Amino acid sequence: MSDPAGAVLVVDDDASVRRALERLLRSAGYRVQTFASAQDLLGRGQFDDVACVVLDVRMPGQGGLDLYEVLVRSGCDLSVVFISGHGDIPMAVRAMKAGAVDFLPKPFEDEALLEAVERAVGRDRQRRDADASEPADPIR
Amino acid sequence: MTRPRLGLALTALLVAAAYYAGANIGLILRFPPLTPSVLWPPNSILTATLLLVPVRRWWIYLLAALPAHLLATAQAEWPLPLVLALFVTNCCEALLGATCVRQWSDEPARVDSLRRVLIFIAGAGLLAPFLSSFLDAGVVSGLGPEPYWVVWRTRCFSNMLTELTVAPAIVAGATAGWSWVRRAPIGRIVEAMVLALVLIGVAAAAFSRSADGLRPIPELPHVPVALFLPLILWAAVRFGPTGGTWSTLATTLILTWAATHGRGPFVDLRLSESVLAMQVYLIVSVVPVMCLAGLIEERRRAERALADRLRFEEFIARLSSSFVHLPSDRMDEAFDAWLERLGAFLALDRVLLLRMLDDGGGLRVARSWDAPGLGPMPRINVSDEYPWTVALLRREQPMILERLDEVPPGATRDRDSLRRHGVRSKLVLPLLAGNRVLGGLAFVTVHAERAWPEQEVLSLPLVAEVFASALARKESEDALRASEVMKSAILSSLHSGVAVLDRDGRIVAVNQAWTLGPADGEHYVDDCRQAARRGEPGAVELLMGIEMVLGGHRPSFALEYLAGVAAGERWLAVTVVALDRAEGGAVVSRTDVTERKRAEIEAQRSRQELAHLTRVSAMGELTASLAHELNQPLTGILTNAQAARRFLDLAPPALQEVREILADIVEDDKRASEVIQRLRDLLRKGDFEMTPLDVNGLIRDVVKLLGSDALIRDVAVELDLHEPSAVARGDRVQLQQVLLNLALNAMEAMVEVAREERRLVVRTRMTDGQTVRISVEDAGPGLRTGTHDLVFEPFFTTKPSGMGMGLAIARSIIDAHGGAISAENNPRHGATFHFTLPLAVETAA
Repeated sequence: MSDPAGAVLVVDDDASVRRALERLLRSAGYRVQTFASAQDLLGRGQFDDVACVVLDVRMPGQGGLDLYEVLVRSGCDLSVVFISGHGDIPMAVRAMKAGAVDFLPKPFEDEALLEAVERAVGRDRQRRDADASEPADPIR
Repeated sequence: MTRPRLGLALTALLVAAAYYAGANIGLILRFPPLTPSVLWPPNSILTATLLLVPVRRWWIYLLAALPAHLLATAQAEWPLPLVLALFVTNCCEALLGATCVRQWSDEPARVDSLRRVLIFIAGAGLLAPFLSSFLDAGVVSGLGPEPYWVVWRTRCFSNMLTELTVAPAIVAGATAGWSWVRRAPIGRIVEAMVLALVLIGVAAAAFSRSADGLRPIPELPHVPVALFLPLILWAAVRFGPTGGTWSTLATTLILTWAATHGRGPFVDLRLSESVLAMQVYLIVSVVPVMCLAGLIEERRRAERALADRLRFEEFIARLSSSFVHLPSDRMDEAFDAWLERLGAFLALDRVLLLRMLDDGGGLRVARSWDAPGLGPMPRINVSDEYPWTVALLRREQPMILERLDEVPPGATRDRDSLRRHGVRSKLVLPLLAGNRVLGGLAFVTVHAERAWPEQEVLSLPLVAEVFASALARKESEDALRASEVMKSAILSSLHSGVAVLDRDGRIVAVNQAWTLGPADGEHYVDDCRQAARRGEPGAVELLMGIEMVLGGHRPSFALEYLAGVAAGERWLAVTVVALDRAEGGAVVSRTDVTERKRAEIEAQRSRQELAHLTRVSAMGELTASLAHELNQPLTGILTNAQAARRFLDLAPPALQEVREILADIVEDDKRASEVIQRLRDLLRKGDFEMTPLDVNGLIRDVVKLLGSDALIRDVAVELDLHEPSAVARGDRVQLQQVLLNLALNAMEAMVEVAREERRLVVRTRMTDGQTVRISVEDAGPGLRTGTHDLVFEPFFTTKPSGMGMGLAIARSIIDAHGGAISAENNPRHGATFHFTLPLAVETAA
């Protein structure tokens, strides 16, 4: 079981996929919040309590990659697992270069997703530990 | 000009000779010492001359007579003044008589009617000698010892007698004599000779004396004279004024000779008294004889005129009746026959039927008749050779020419042509139909000049009228026949079977191509009714359509149906059109369109094949988006199922979660199969099937199919649909294909465009209540100038990998639906493709 304090956010425009992911992550003991679009996510305001984000690449309006880049540029260092129904190698490369934990093409095995989320949460915890020993950079 | 002068000189010489001869006779028949002769012909010879020659030439003949007078009187040894004075009195008598007759008579040179005879007797026969004798007696008694009244009496009676016998004999002889001899039948000439012989015989019998002094006829005064009377009457009755005057002249000469030689009648009287009595007797008898002859001649002439007229009217009647029911194709023959009859009837040498040419330009000889022995009419251009005549005809006036010198001075071309063709007299009558000049009828003489008597000029237009109406009828019948020939030629040239129906639906006429079904004379509608009862395909519709047209409820009707005939199944196209006429009816035209139908079906099949192919290739383009479309539910299902397994592993299992999961799985499964179904629909190779379609629903289906693609390509799809939705008739799959094709093209066009600009709008609009217009608008670069129509051509493409068939197929599909497809550039950027579809106004019955 992972640290119950860190929440896992799920952003996907497809309601059914969203609900399924929420259930899977919940069954693995994660606290889960779901969002239907990038806008909804940004509406959340702050991400301090967020351990990991499961982000769909293709969404109407702002896609997952764009959203991630916006978040990174704003200094919000989140551990992200991309999922995509229409993935290709350049897109995956772009995501990984941007600092993503993993890039999973839909559909995916539950173990693969949970393992990726676990790694993301682990990375988040390491980052938080490092942050605690060093003075935190001011958030831009 | 020498000819007329020579003629004049000869006539003058003849008159002088006659005068000389007459004066000699007169000088012989005298009772010297009395100057006047008992019979003095010169005066009456002069009178007759003056009646026969024009007034302006009188002086010539009077002058010509003077030498004859001088020569003749020389033997009498009269003093010159007396001779000249006598010539003057003689001339006075002739001038007076001729002037009176010319003044009063319509034909001074003729004594062939009672009026003319009476005028002649009164003026020349009685008045002139009576008056001139006073002058003569004055001269003679003044210059000599003779008593005035004796001279007057002798001269007056002797001159009356010669004026009444010699002058008319000369006039009648000159006007009718020679031509009578030439024309009279041989019997008449024999009769005239017999008459002359009898006259001589009677004279011999009356005045001969045998040796013993006995005479065959008693010598009573009136008997010999009476003997001549029947002969004079015979001559007058049988030979008219000519015969009457000549026989009277002969009798006068015989009796005068007898009287002066003491043999004649009245011999017991003193000689001069005997002559006087004879003169009075002759004068008294010649007057009624002349009147009788004039009357008889007048009567005979009237009878002849009446007979001529009757003959002419009978001619006209036969002429017009022969043309009444004559078919126009036999008219030329009849024209020829009647031209010949006209020529013979009017004693002509040539009769021509002239036709005005249609262009109004010229006149040509249509038919002609030439008298036997006359060469055929040369081919001429009438308008060129006879411009004056043609101009008269155009003014609807006749051309009447008795002699060539009657041609007006200006018409030189006509005159030259007439002379060249040897024409002597000519009459041309216009042929008129309504106010149109059809041509002319020309009557020509070549051998001799011919007068055109008033009666002919008045009645020949009747002939012209018959010819004109026959011509007009021939013209219209020819035109009618030509048009009928053309119509039937057109009908028989048609490949379609054509039948004409009467009001009841019975066939009254068919063309050659009408081979199937009921024949000419049979009942077409009944046949259709029976076919409908047997349930033959199309028969019910055909029957209803024909009945609607025959009943006047609609002007026409058309149907294509599959008919089972002996040769197998044939597609027939039938058109029924109402006949626009009072008695109603209709024209049925039936065409075998099997070949066309087969071609159509074939074309439709290949269009479907091609459409299917392009659909399949479009699917290829959609693969990525379809994968995405299917991935979503599959992902949901997989993830849900795995989550459920985990919930079941819990202790206790979270069954409520599992229940919800299963519900979601079912939904996702349905979603996935819907995608599959849409795909399958689109890839189906179905038959072309026209059904009423909800246009908006159709568009929404296509957009669903495209949703993932739009997502992948970052294209925003907007719908601007007219509500309530239009219902059009069409084939669902093919129309979806068109929409899909247009939408894919639109998205493809926006690849290079900034993401936020990528907008695809699908719009529906009701245009005119009969069609709906569907527009697909993109925000791409738009169409290159000049390619708006080219884009619909096969193999036209701007894409490196495109086949160029998509829009061509789209157009053929829309054409097959009775719609139209077009493309235009938007005002700002991008292009819009429109297509229209007819609304399904009829609901499925």
